[in-house]
Amino acid sequence: MTAPLLSIQDIGVRFGGIVALDGINIDVEPGAIHAIIGPNGAGKSTLINVVTGIYTAGQGSVTFAGQTLNRLKPHDICRLGIARTFQNTELFGEMTALENVMIGAHRSGGYGPFVAATHGFGFAAAESRMRAEAMDLLELVGIAEDAAMLAGALPFGKQRRLELARALATRPRMLLLDEPAAGLRAAEIEALNNILLDLRARRGLTILLIDHVMALVLKISDRVTVLNFGRKIAEGLPAEVRANPDVIKAYLGERAANAIAS
Amino acid sequence: MTGKTLLFAVTGIGLFFALPHMLADFQLFQVCLIAVTALIALGLTVVTGLAGQVSLAQAAFVGIGGYGAAILATRWGVPLWAGIPLSGIVAAMAGFVLGQVTLRVSGHYLALATMAVTAIVQLAFIHMDDITGGAAGMPVPSFEIGGRALTSGGELYYVIVPTTAVLFLIVGNIIRSRFGRAFAATRQSEIAVAAMGVDVLRYKALAFAGSAFLGAVGGGLLAPLASYLDPMQFGIPQSIYYMAIAVVGGLRSPAGAIIGAVVFILIPEFLQAFQSYLGLVFALLLLGFIVLWPNGLSGLIFRRPGARWWGGAAR
Amino acid sequence: MLAQLLVSSLTAGAVYALIALGFVLLHNGTGVVHFGYGDQVTFGAYLVLIAQNFVGVPFSAAIMMALLASMALGAAIYAVFMVPLRNASLLARLIATLAIGTALREWLRAFMGPNAWPFPFLLSPAPVEVGGLMLVPANLAIIGVVLVILAGLYLFFEKTLQGKAILAACENRTGASLIGVRVSRVFLVIWVVASLLATVAGILVAPLLTLSPDMGLIAIKGFTAAVLGGFSSLPGAVVGGLLLGVLEALTGAYISTALKDMISYAILIAVILVRPQGLFGGLALKKV
Repeated sequence: MTAPLLSIQDIGVRFGGIVALDGINIDVEPGAIHAIIGPNGAGKSTLINVVTGIYTAGQGSVTFAGQTLNRLKPHDICRLGIARTFQNTELFGEMTALENVMIGAHRSGGYGPFVAATHGFGFAAAESRMRAEAMDLLELVGIAEDAAMLAGALPFGKQRRLELARALATRPRMLLLDEPAAGLRAAEIEALNNILLDLRARRGLTILLIDHVMALVLKISDRVTVLNFGRKIAEGLPAEVRANPDVIKAYLGERAANAIAS
Repeated sequence: MTGKTLLFAVTGIGLFFALPHMLADFQLFQVCLIAVTALIALGLTVVTGLAGQVSLAQAAFVGIGGYGAAILATRWGVPLWAGIPLSGIVAAMAGFVLGQVTLRVSGHYLALATMAVTAIVQLAFIHMDDITGGAAGMPVPSFEIGGRALTSGGELYYVIVPTTAVLFLIVGNIIRSRFGRAFAATRQSEIAVAAMGVDVLRYKALAFAGSAFLGAVGGGLLAPLASYLDPMQFGIPQSIYYMAIAVVGGLRSPAGAIIGAVVFILIPEFLQAFQSYLGLVFALLLLGFIVLWPNGLSGLIFRRPGARWWGGAAR
Repeated sequence: MLAQLLVSSLTAGAVYALIALGFVLLHNGTGVVHFGYGDQVTFGAYLVLIAQNFVGVPFSAAIMMALLASMALGAAIYAVFMVPLRNASLLARLIATLAIGTALREWLRAFMGPNAWPFPFLLSPAPVEVGGLMLVPANLAIIGVVLVILAGLYLFFEKTLQGKAILAACENRTGASLIGVRVSRVFLVIWVVASLLATVAGILVAPLLTLSPDMGLIAIKGFTAAVLGGFSSLPGAVVGGLLLGVLEALTGAYISTALKDMISYAILIAVILVRPQGLFGGLALKKV
């Protein structure tokens, strides 16, 4: 067994008196597609926000490739190689799709403030390289024809893909996807699945994704963790998790679980 | 350099040398006034229009630039040509520090905090009598360069207009670079831009530093033009006045700062008989534009796509 | 000496509290932070002068006219500016309220002149000695009015169904309209009441300060008071105002008069930085 790329240890978060996460432990293997599922309010998004530095955990620690992420700012965590998407999409709505992706490539822009102020030597070359790179990523997620559209004007499904392209532009080692399939049609989910599998195969990306339905997740995940009311209630291979009575109870309620068990 | 930019540059330089032969000294004085006002408003284009951080501290930075340059000259004999950029750098550092408050606050609270800064700086000008002349103000030494004193608008023109032009070009270039995109992205979603590896606080503080530098250099150039510093010119109402110029011209583009400055400097010429109504006219302009055309005159003029930098640059 | 200082400082504090109450009322009731509120206070006082000198009615009738006119002004501000801006960005609304204030101020400067006007006291300004302390009835009246307004607003918002409906309307517009609250009418009423309050404040404050078009700049101290109190609490606004008055007086007496003016701005910045929820408020978390 290899060392985990991302290791979440004993994470606990409280908002006022409400326990959002309670002693969560999750290890994500390098190269894995790992899913976290659970009903609404299970604490999935909170967990992603802790990993990416938006919330501070009251207890526990997160390590990525051997480095502790506690106390790091969101931008530092991105620079270590973790990119994310957002549950309700957080695009730069007044910029074009292409510009959104170019923001993702900001850090690898390759020119400094002086060149920016003068548009001097190397500026045009660096800009066109960033542009080409962004265009490739739009191609990859299948919305190259919308490059010049304002991000805010894109339909929801395309906004989700654009977020994915923008996250990839930061050149991450790991992707955190917050409910990437929510609001997508079946065909779109199929396309997303293929993109994710392709990314892992070609770029060796590790993917942690969240969903509240099992449909997307069980097809492509290597490993699934189930959260309910801030606690981890199950973990394992997709098939194991699907058969777990606690999981069925969390999703369908006590009586349904009994009915299936009997 | 494309043919279009070349044409633009040649026309600009030609116009620059032709104007002094076409205009009277008083009109050149007004051109200078428009230039420094546009420079001050450009600071708001950067911090508020581009980076989305409301600032009512611009008058304070203008004051720091003016008083800084004048005090350096009278106390330590630093010539204005050195004192103005020096005050600009000091103001930029102050702006960077002020920008740190954006870690904790935004929106209304940021407006209040920057208002309070303006009030405190103005009170400092009034109460530090021994170096600022107190409530009575202080005279500004003349702008000397190469042993020659530039006093009239026609002479200061050769310093003020090129300085303004260069600073506008630099700001325009930065807006159309990866840094400009990062500023604009910060305005639209801090949480997303941080997830792209951009240090949000640093960028917001840099935007404040930039606005402070532009405001202070504008104030430093305004000082010899006006030849006298009165602390009442650096209060909260003046911050609102500069905001009005930037909003009426269009907050989203450098061209807006110029258009706004032209409108606000030339209106008094057409309302000579109604001088006491000027403040009211300015306030109503601001009110009308923010309600009806929040993108300002530049938003109304440059609607076509392709005129991105001049029209709606880094949106 | 100290006791006298504290009693006197309460008057200034009450003035700040009165303005802070208006801010908090508008903020809680409509979600707008009104940067031109101080100018509405000034404008209210001028309305009395206008009625007296240009319409030619006696002082008491002039006050009634000013109160009515300010209610109309509040309704007009809501209908003409706030309704079109209801979906505008926070920046646009913020600048709009600044512009409304500036327009009122500059209108006064253009039509009433830039210089100060004398303004009569409602009660005697002659001091009365009580137990070794000099008390001024006109000043005490302000404190009394502040407490009455606080009690009235507090009871209305906390104890009546209508008041609670208003708070609900501000918190969640869709929800409020679902349960039958007519949000636009509620907002209109709040603007009318807050504008009325501004004029009451102006009439009480004008004799103490100098009534010139720039009197409204004192509103930033009202802001400080409101921020001290947490910006959403009516009692907090009053406590914040009185506290600010006392702090100012103490700074002026024991440190320096130059610092007296600066101290309230310094407090404003300090509170915003260190405790943006104010001295009494709780903190909200943004959901991602």
